[in-house]
Amino acid sequence: MSKMKKVLSLLLIFALTVSLVGCGGAQKEETKTDSAQTDEAQATNEETSETSDNYEFTEPVTIKFANYAVLEAGYDVFWNNAKKGFEEKYPDITVEFMTAEYGQMLTQVVTWVGGGEKVDLVFGEASWLPTLADAGIILPVTDTFSEDYLSQIYPSMMDAMKVYGIPYGVPMYASPFIMFYNKDLFEQAGLDPNSPPTTVDEMMEMAPKLAALKTADGNQVYPFGMTTASVGVSGSCLTSLVYGFGGSVLNADGQLDIDNAGFTQTFEFLKELDDKGYNPQVSKLKDLRNLFALGQLAMYYDQSWGFNGVRSINPEAANFVASAAPLAGGQGTGESVIQAHTLMMGNNGEAQVEATKLFIEYLLTEDVLVPYLENVAPGYPSMMALSEIQGIKESPVLSGALKSLDTAKSATNIPTINDFNLELTALSQAVTVNDKEVGQSIEEFKKVAEIILSN
Amino acid sequence: MQNKSITFGSHKTKGAPFLKRITKDRLFALSLLIPSIIVTVMFILVPVLDSVIRSFQDYRIKNIIAGTPGQWNEFANYMKLFSNNKLLPSIETTFIFVGGVVLAQFILGMAMALVLNSNLKGARFIRSIMMAPWIVPTIISGLIWMWIYQPQYGLLKYVVEIFSFGKITDFAMLNNPATALFGIAIAALWKQIPLTALLLVSGLANVPDETMEAARVDGANSVNRFFHITIPYMKSIIKVTTSMAIIENFKQFPLIWTMTGGGPNNSTSTLAILSYREAFVSNNLGSGAAVTTVWMLLMVVVVILFNIIFKETKMD
Amino acid sequence: MKKKQLIVNIIQYIVVALILLFLLFPLYWVLITSFKENMEAYKFPPTFFPQFPTPDAYIKLFTEDQYFFRYYMNNFIVSGACAILTTFMAIISGYALSRFNFKWNKWIIAAFTSAQMFPVVSRMISLYGLMGDMNLINTQLGLVLALTAAMIPFSTMLMASFFDSIPKVLEEAAFIDGAGRFKILFSVIIPLVKPGIVAVGIYSLLMTWDDYLHATTLIQTDSLRTLSAGVSVRYLGELSYDWSLINTISVIGIIPMLLLFFFFQKHLVKGLVQGAVKG
Repeated sequence: MSKMKKVLSLLLIFALTVSLVGCGGAQKEETKTDSAQTDEAQATNEETSETSDNYEFTEPVTIKFANYAVLEAGYDVFWNNAKKGFEEKYPDITVEFMTAEYGQMLTQVVTWVGGGEKVDLVFGEASWLPTLADAGIILPVTDTFSEDYLSQIYPSMMDAMKVYGIPYGVPMYASPFIMFYNKDLFEQAGLDPNSPPTTVDEMMEMAPKLAALKTADGNQVYPFGMTTASVGVSGSCLTSLVYGFGGSVLNADGQLDIDNAGFTQTFEFLKELDDKGYNPQVSKLKDLRNLFALGQLAMYYDQSWGFNGVRSINPEAANFVASAAPLAGGQGTGESVIQAHTLMMGNNGEAQVEATKLFIEYLLTEDVLVPYLENVAPGYPSMMALSEIQGIKESPVLSGALKSLDTAKSATNIPTINDFNLELTALSQAVTVNDKEVGQSIEEFKKVAEIILSN
Repeated sequence: MQNKSITFGSHKTKGAPFLKRITKDRLFALSLLIPSIIVTVMFILVPVLDSVIRSFQDYRIKNIIAGTPGQWNEFANYMKLFSNNKLLPSIETTFIFVGGVVLAQFILGMAMALVLNSNLKGARFIRSIMMAPWIVPTIISGLIWMWIYQPQYGLLKYVVEIFSFGKITDFAMLNNPATALFGIAIAALWKQIPLTALLLVSGLANVPDETMEAARVDGANSVNRFFHITIPYMKSIIKVTTSMAIIENFKQFPLIWTMTGGGPNNSTSTLAILSYREAFVSNNLGSGAAVTTVWMLLMVVVVILFNIIFKETKMD
Repeated sequence: MKKKQLIVNIIQYIVVALILLFLLFPLYWVLITSFKENMEAYKFPPTFFPQFPTPDAYIKLFTEDQYFFRYYMNNFIVSGACAILTTFMAIISGYALSRFNFKWNKWIIAAFTSAQMFPVVSRMISLYGLMGDMNLINTQLGLVLALTAAMIPFSTMLMASFFDSIPKVLEEAAFIDGAGRFKILFSVIIPLVKPGIVAVGIYSLLMTWDDYLHATTLIQTDSLRTLSAGVSVRYLGELSYDWSLINTISVIGIIPMLLLFFFFQKHLVKGLVQGAVKG
């Protein structure tokens, strides 16, 4: 009896609240359209008043800057100094950081903007661009920056900013996935520390010697690290590996394009690595950085600024690290995917946009960016004019891989790229830790991926 | 808590003031209840219903940003979930996780409670210190276990190496699809066993000694006594602890998300992870909401079933 | 018979020892790791006692990472406010639920019961929009309200079961003496449910202390963050894990709550059990 009553009362509560929500939802819509209208009105007002290039700020502006790096050891000092320096230069403008954890940042930006918070600038991965652009959170940069200004940036990096042909971000600095290797371990294994492998076959020949090594503590040394953990960036890295094998993952229209030898060979290679125990299983990039810093990993793929993470574990690592171009496998020539730390602008009215533009330009000046790239996050500056800087050209972390930037391609930017990347990592896990057969796993992957892409 | 019955009626006085008093009582009670009702409806029930409605719509991030309402899409969100073969494995994973954790939690908690309820020396002290894991924030408990499971220099790897006499030298709990869920379950148990044990031990204290003694005199062995006296007497507390455990583990998200993110190869992808991925990684709030709706329905069904089953067993 | 008793005793001790080992060894492990030098922490096989114990990580935490203590303070403020608010609302609503048996009580209980089952993930976006409409985003007040809402269903029902155990004769007497309803509640009834109040308060403090999803979603400014959210932002980032620091933070993060718990243990346990058994 009372059971029935309980179920009934549950249903009644639902019914009651449904009607409540009905009213609530309608109200919310109204307020939303209201604010949209006022925004438009403001925008038109400002358009007419603003004509010159130098925007006059009539009142103090606060830029809301979503940036995960502000809080991370290794990055924090730079970002706080940049804020300070900029605010000194432009006393009318204040930069306010909005912070969240790296892995949550994209979600947070969406939730923030969705909840009515204004975000003026986002610092993050190029792979976030399609999601934010598709949601209408960020502006095409061609709307605000002059063609002259944008033409100073490497075209290949600008390409990586494009979502369906329109660039939505300004790259701050970029890196292909490159290969870091440990010169000391090469020496101990009787290999030439100055000639790292250039092809997958060469690497596999060297691997047994490296695998036989032990660290001073008697720990195992892994010859080759490739990230396969369930995080988005691992998917980008896997895509890069596929490119290195001459394969492809998505075509320019964002459709699945994996019926090629390169794709299959990549996962066969991963399986082989795993079977021989060469690759630390299911690692995130930060796990690999950790192992590399401790001298337990001879070679691994990472973005150039990943070295910042290595150094924060073991400052001595600068003495043994060297970089090389990614390996060529199969029919490939070792192409890679460009990764860029990117600045993305929100759309919150003229004054905000102009202030944000000034801040972006400030961040890309030589005085600000070059010391950062030299001392904090090794990376290739996006401004062509800055590439001639000695500290970057001669940096042991970067010099070996300098060439690979020329051959690096940009990944296809589609709104579901993050979920797709997670599925790609699941495929790599299927053939490694799950020990599934490569062909069959790829077939299964295809089914799931098609649904994600058609989403 | 679910079937709390209110035994206390309104006051019965005679004559005209009676009606007046009832009305006043009503108003008084209502004014006391209103804050809680408002808060619960506004912050919990309305958002939940909002999400249920969204599960029938094509609703994406851009709808939020532009403020456009979602479009009714004829159950496409649900159809997609069934066609891409993700929902059923996630339901399975969720049930394995919840079932395993709740069962293990009950058995271990009960074992601990039985021992602590005997005349063991230092039982009080043990009862205090065993609670420590319960206080540890979930995120930190995830980190602690990740550190223990760490595949290269973790404690567990070493322990397994020793107990397998050096045969298994690369044990990595969270990297193996066969063991990853188990690894998370251990971390969940670690945090949850203390409270279960504590509540059960206090429930045991309610079992009357005389009845126990009488049964002993009648020759009932300890197993019989446990099932025929202890368990029936502890019924309500067992019910409460178990339903609390079911709800908590059904909802478990941060622990899984920090420890494995649903991997490797989706082996730890529960409904919580799937809904988060659909909504916030794929940015399809509609299909994320569809997962959540299925998830909530299952939870409600399980809790109701649990209550029904528990009522039936009362008879024996 | 004696021999059998001995065997039973031994088995009991073994069971307790094993479960305790499982519950407490991880904490010991975290504690000793926090005293290891960074490189020793990464040693395999691991050392079961630090070879060169060093408080470096603690010194670093206390001298360099001041923000950690801000997270801490914030968490105390937020959880404390939640506990007070939740307890107050649970007292009045629980009283109403327990004492005034009207038809809609069942609905309310059904609503509360279902409310505690709904996952946070499912209501994050709506909640955020709602908070935005009320200008409560990125404020501790907003976080307190959201967390209080999450705690109220359970707390109210727990509280109601305490009131159930108070004989209504007391109120009748007070009512006949001419005391008003509020006076009866606050000066006659509430003093009698003190254990329940302490239990509800501590329980909500501990539960809200654990919150992660609300805080990460609703708070964007670092100076307002609570512990779990702060720890994940600072130490689970893009670049690397600093395990010895993470272990140190875990230790510091656990200790105050542990002390608080030991201090109030008796009340909490008594209260929870009493509430649960009656419930």
